[in-house]
Amino acid sequence: MALKRNWARGIIGGLSFTSALFVFQACYGTPQDMMDDFLVEGKVTSKSTGHPIRDIRVSVADDGQFVHTNSLGKFGFYTAWRENMILQFNDVDAAANGSYASRDTVLNDLSDRVYVDIALEEK
Amino acid sequence: MNYLFWECTTRCNLKCLHCGSDCSRDSSHPDMPLEDFLAALDTIKDPAENFIVVLSGGEPLLRRDLERCGREIRNRGMRWGMVTNGHLYSRERHMALLNAGMGALTISLDGLQDSHDWLRNTPGSFTRVGSAIELAASSPRLNFDVVTCVNRRNYSELQQILEFLVRKGVKAWRLFTITPIGRAKGRQELFLSDSELKGMLDFITDIRKKNIIDVKFSCEGYVGRYELKVRDTPFFCRAGINIGSVLIDGSISACPNIDRDFVQGNIYKDDFYRIWESGFAPFRDRSWTRTGPCADCKDYRDCLGNGLHNWQTGRNEVLVCHKRMLDRFQR
Repeated sequence: MALKRNWARGIIGGLSFTSALFVFQACYGTPQDMMDDFLVEGKVTSKSTGHPIRDIRVSVADDGQFVHTNSLGKFGFYTAWRENMILQFNDVDAAANGSYASRDTVLNDLSDRVYVDIALEEK
Repeated sequence: MNYLFWECTTRCNLKCLHCGSDCSRDSSHPDMPLEDFLAALDTIKDPAENFIVVLSGGEPLLRRDLERCGREIRNRGMRWGMVTNGHLYSRERHMALLNAGMGALTISLDGLQDSHDWLRNTPGSFTRVGSAIELAASSPRLNFDVVTCVNRRNYSELQQILEFLVRKGVKAWRLFTITPIGRAKGRQELFLSDSELKGMLDFITDIRKKNIIDVKFSCEGYVGRYELKVRDTPFFCRAGINIGSVLIDGSISACPNIDRDFVQGNIYKDDFYRIWESGFAPFRDRSWTRTGPCADCKDYRDCLGNGLHNWQTGRNEVLVCHKRMLDRFQR
């Protein structure tokens, strides 16, 4: 048992100084985060007027993660990387900022940062 | 360095009996401005790919700019996570934090209802932390775990806590003992007896074999023959080796629960990364810990004086020796 421990300790001790990829956990901290994610940013405008639309719900299909556009129609959020991600745009504030049809778009060829401009049609 | 604590606030909405930081609702320290922390962070040259900033406190959720803090860290290509009591972890906050790039989260649960609320010193805390755990466990994005400080009141509840966590969908659970520092000092009911420590390690060993949940003993201390049975890797205190911290007053150190006499500098007068590279001698050469009972301990090479939070000014020996507790029980 002692031999096994010393062997493992030797490897871990060496790695701790030389490898940034070694996974560990500080005793009073969180686990490390090794998952790939990326930043999705964009702007939502009206197809007919070109004006930005606020409070459009921008969500990741089959995930539950969402954000709302701000007064400039802009949004931005980090999300887990996945192939062919579907981004959904929904008008969820009734007629408060106009009424727009929902739209989905597929994001592929993802890098660590993606920018999406979307124009929504008025209902 | 690839793990940096930021003690971003010492304000807290609970008044836990075991608080190592002795935090309070009305902290004498104001929260550190984000810009001050970022200036220190920006001194780090070529941060590792998995470099993570862990926001701790106090209670990080009391900061209204928490999401902005996280986003600024993530925008720099660094990961970030948070240790929280879960009291204010609402559905809205959960979503906002994910959107800001939070990738790791730890929530404290210290027993079933009565024992949790007792240790957290706040009635109703158990109900709220239960909701927080459910939310966090529902997110496939988060590397999430629950931590439990095992003490004399919740020791007998470990099996029931396990069942509670499994029902909530939790995948990882870390168990601690309580160190007699901060507010915990002198409260005997918080500290496990020798036989209870052994019992807790036996429990962890048993559950790990059953593969119900990824349960482990924290890396708080060396546990002799239980090493590799209760964790994936043997004990190695990484404070000051891979782990640094920026404390509430700008002090530069390692884990926040380490005695403040180990502070190596201050971001308000020193270049953070230069201190990291040129300071930290007592963290990196632990030979000074070979004193008292550690002087002739045959396990010293594996233990190196236990976790550094067990060393305090004015004491010439380690505060808690888990190995000695286990040996005492065996005799």
